[in-house]
Amino acid sequence: MSLDLATPATATPRARPRASADAPSAPRRWLGRNRAPLVALAVFLGLFLLVDALSPGPLAYFDVSFQISGATPLALAAMGQTLVVLSGGFDLSAGAVISLVNAVLARSMDPAAAEASVLLWTLAGIGIGMMVGAVNGFFVAVVRLQPIVVTLSTMFIVQGATLLVMDQPGGFIAPALGSFYMGDAVEGLVPMALVLLGLAALFWSWLRKTGFGVALYAIGSDPASAMATGIRVTLVRFATYVLAGGFYGLSGVFVSAQTGSGDPLVGNSLLLSMFAAVVIGGTRLGGGKGGLVGTIFGALVLMVVVNILLVLNVSAYFATIAEGGVLLAAVLIGSLSRDSVLSDQLRRLRGSLTARRAGTHVSQRPAGDRRLAFVTGAAMPVRSAAPSFLQRHGRELRFALPAYVCLVLVLIATQVVLGNTLANWGFWNALLVLSTFLVILALGQGAVILTGGLDLSVPWTIGLSGILLAGLVQGSDAALLYALPVVFAVAALIGLLNGLGVVALGLSPIVVTLAANGILQGLALLYSGGTPAGFASPALRWLMTGKIAGITPVLVLLALFVVGGTLLLGRTAFGRRVYAIGNSMEAARLAGVRTGRVVIGVYVLSALCAALVGILLTGFSGQASLGMGDDYLLPSIAIVVVGGALITGGRGHFLGMVGGALLLTALQTLLAGTTLPYAFRAILFGGVVLAAVIALREKRN
Amino acid sequence: MRMTARIGLAALCALAGAVTPAMAQEKQKVFLSMSYIGNDWQAEAANMVKAMAASKTLRDKIDLEVQVAGPNAQRQIQQINAMVQAGAKAIVVYPISPTALNQVVKSACAKGVKIVAYDSVITEPCAYNVTIDQAEAGRRTAEWLVEKLGGKGNIVLVTGVPGTSVDSGRTNAAKEVFAKHPGIKIVGEAVGMWSQAVARTELSKLLATRNWNDIDGLWMQVGCYTANAMQLEAGRTAEQLKPCAGEGSNGGRIQMLKAGTEVEGADGAYKPLGAPRISYASPPYSGAYALKLAAELLDGKDVPHNVTLPLPIVTNETVKLCETGSWDEMKAGCNVFKPSIIPNPGWFASIFSEKTPEVGLNAALVGQPEN
Repeated sequence: MSLDLATPATATPRARPRASADAPSAPRRWLGRNRAPLVALAVFLGLFLLVDALSPGPLAYFDVSFQISGATPLALAAMGQTLVVLSGGFDLSAGAVISLVNAVLARSMDPAAAEASVLLWTLAGIGIGMMVGAVNGFFVAVVRLQPIVVTLSTMFIVQGATLLVMDQPGGFIAPALGSFYMGDAVEGLVPMALVLLGLAALFWSWLRKTGFGVALYAIGSDPASAMATGIRVTLVRFATYVLAGGFYGLSGVFVSAQTGSGDPLVGNSLLLSMFAAVVIGGTRLGGGKGGLVGTIFGALVLMVVVNILLVLNVSAYFATIAEGGVLLAAVLIGSLSRDSVLSDQLRRLRGSLTARRAGTHVSQRPAGDRRLAFVTGAAMPVRSAAPSFLQRHGRELRFALPAYVCLVLVLIATQVVLGNTLANWGFWNALLVLSTFLVILALGQGAVILTGGLDLSVPWTIGLSGILLAGLVQGSDAALLYALPVVFAVAALIGLLNGLGVVALGLSPIVVTLAANGILQGLALLYSGGTPAGFASPALRWLMTGKIAGITPVLVLLALFVVGGTLLLGRTAFGRRVYAIGNSMEAARLAGVRTGRVVIGVYVLSALCAALVGILLTGFSGQASLGMGDDYLLPSIAIVVVGGALITGGRGHFLGMVGGALLLTALQTLLAGTTLPYAFRAILFGGVVLAAVIALREKRN
Repeated sequence: MRMTARIGLAALCALAGAVTPAMAQEKQKVFLSMSYIGNDWQAEAANMVKAMAASKTLRDKIDLEVQVAGPNAQRQIQQINAMVQAGAKAIVVYPISPTALNQVVKSACAKGVKIVAYDSVITEPCAYNVTIDQAEAGRRTAEWLVEKLGGKGNIVLVTGVPGTSVDSGRTNAAKEVFAKHPGIKIVGEAVGMWSQAVARTELSKLLATRNWNDIDGLWMQVGCYTANAMQLEAGRTAEQLKPCAGEGSNGGRIQMLKAGTEVEGADGAYKPLGAPRISYASPPYSGAYALKLAAELLDGKDVPHNVTLPLPIVTNETVKLCETGSWDEMKAGCNVFKPSIIPNPGWFASIFSEKTPEVGLNAALVGQPEN
């Protein structure tokens, strides 16, 4: 494989003209290229020395060794994730694979046989990871589905399978595995974990020089050009997911060695930390830039933060705030340079101020009609016959319809399995009420995704808004009059800050909103003191749970919202600009779209939608609770993609996303009605979501 | 010469004498490693641990620092090791996983650090565990429901977080009981994640194709309060409420009081309904008690490795409203608080233990000890 690839791909860098007189020297170029990983390393060393200085005793070899082995599972998994990210993808199944490997190993090892072959079990773990990777790779590379939704489905399926292997913590991992991986390679000098990470880094430095490595960067930068230069995109993508799976598998083996037993949930919560490690290590989300070595330092930084919080005795409620701050700071420092977005924006601001002072700014020029002559002229082209409905909307229909087709199938299945469905208004009412939350989130998250971003701060924007509202209204309808504006104002501020982080600081949306989510969680805990007080008011409760002629009042709001959302994205200038930015930020900017404002606008919209969900959820439950938004993050992304939107932006219709929300809710309703064990439900859920998006696959061109 | 030496020696002795008691008084460093703090139970338990540390019994003996690991076991492993490194004498842990911490706990024990886990367990033998018997909780609540239904009827289960030993312990024990009664039919099973909010969405999904008339009883880990509220919203009367075996939230217990009982601050479904209930809980004082045991261990006392707390069970016969919520009143048997004191119905009411006179209502609410 690497042989065919090598010729066109490696030729490019060599063909570059040799350094001209003013080009930076080789070491300098190396520094410039490896800036982000080096910063991550420096941040880690700085934090580590800080811990050392503040700790009562000096850090012994054991502590250093433990520090490294503690970060190794995250580092290995994040390295796999980095491969996928470099190729322009996303892998949400990574954490689930770690749990699966851990569960399988703990279940299969024989407690009677104390000695076990470390090599054999390691290969078994890597093999399991690669198998899941191959499934991901098949659907992403061969069937050409969007990585985020493929890996979301496999995540559910793998989680279900893990629970089938092991329904609660237990099992046995041979001590041989533990003493090998947690032990020393050189007694008292080099821990085995460090050797493992070193080998992984060596593997990468070899890999990226091969044809495969070059092709990986090429695909991540621009898949179309990569294909045009003769790179076998399908094969490289497939191999990327398989390799990444191998890394998750190895991480699972290491976790098994580290914990000495099995836990079916052990890896699931590593997922978000993985993305943080990837980004801190200097890899660009979206692909084409970065590397695996930086990721190792990123993982070390994230783990040493735990020690920092401890030696500084940061209060529990501030922990997530501090972590969010560290994430933002580390990424910001890594990206600071003369050509970073931040300095670009500052330069632009300075220029605009100078122009204003000099009186030459665009807005200070005399206003007047400067339209081109032919537009105002009478010679309007003769209108041809309006294109047919299908011609106008064919593309939207093709991507929005699959969700509705699957919805119909799920509804029929519900009628068959549970009965009392299609002719029962109570079913439709419940389905629509439960879909309301997702439909509202779809507008906000959908608008963000249409611009090519992602909003991960949805969960705690929901939580904080609900808690704030319940605390302010205290069960009084009159109080809603001022509570609602306050809650929406707070949400708008959250969105504004998210947007500014993306636009002004030039940080990846995932980083900004992930950090914001942590900070919001801390704020919600501080505001509520750990126990949220207050009630929804009677009017709000009536809106969500009352009945007028069998119809829950919120459905009126839902109908208005769907019409409003469709018009906002489809018929307003704002909507057009959102699509324009998603298709090409640069083209939109050149066409006169004030891209910064629009991008900030979609984050504000997303925060407002999340706040509305927080308010309605409070009305639905009667009170607010911490963590009430936790279950809405992944579904909010899934419905947008299932509804036909492209995760990289520019394509998707709000009505399609509404279909996605209805489909997901109907599917959950069907599964909840059965007495199937949770493991099977998770597998079925993943399978149906995957089936739903197969119809969305991109055509070969 | 000899004189000065003797004086010097005496001075040294005096100095040493002065130093030794001061050393004895120096507080021992104890850490609390919490899990996820985004729910009511965790926040309440943490408040009670803090109150215990500030109480007269412990405040001169230990110095408590609280850290949060989040839902991530890897981080808790790292955190516990960092605590050992920072000179911890004892660590009180809410373990994210019963097994994943074993290695780090073993290495902490080897350094003489006492590890006490609360609510969930750590299976490493050197750790101390303070828990309730989860299987007993599942069995007794299931038996109550079977008896209430006369051994016949359609029931709905709402479980906790799948894949945890607490959830499988309770659920498997309950299912064993139901399996013994062929008249009992499980018609629906939902994953409730131990959250009232999730219980509501899951029950709404279950009820989309069903009617309350099709269901005779509910067995829930968390959510009876919500289930009762939903029945009222569906237009059923308080007398028609289905028997529900479930959690020890204050809202649920207020609903158990006889309908028409005057309670201050009642609102909406958070009012006395005479709802047929059995209410059990993992008591949130377990963390505070774990801290007390840790202090006893540091004093050199003997403590059993596995402390099983008595399962707090309240039924309609034993539910009793607290007037002020003082510790003596709770000792006399009251077990539910007025909504005017506890505005959050999801708050857990099983805070009383004879063994922890240091912590009461104020401890659970704001982290203030009784003395």
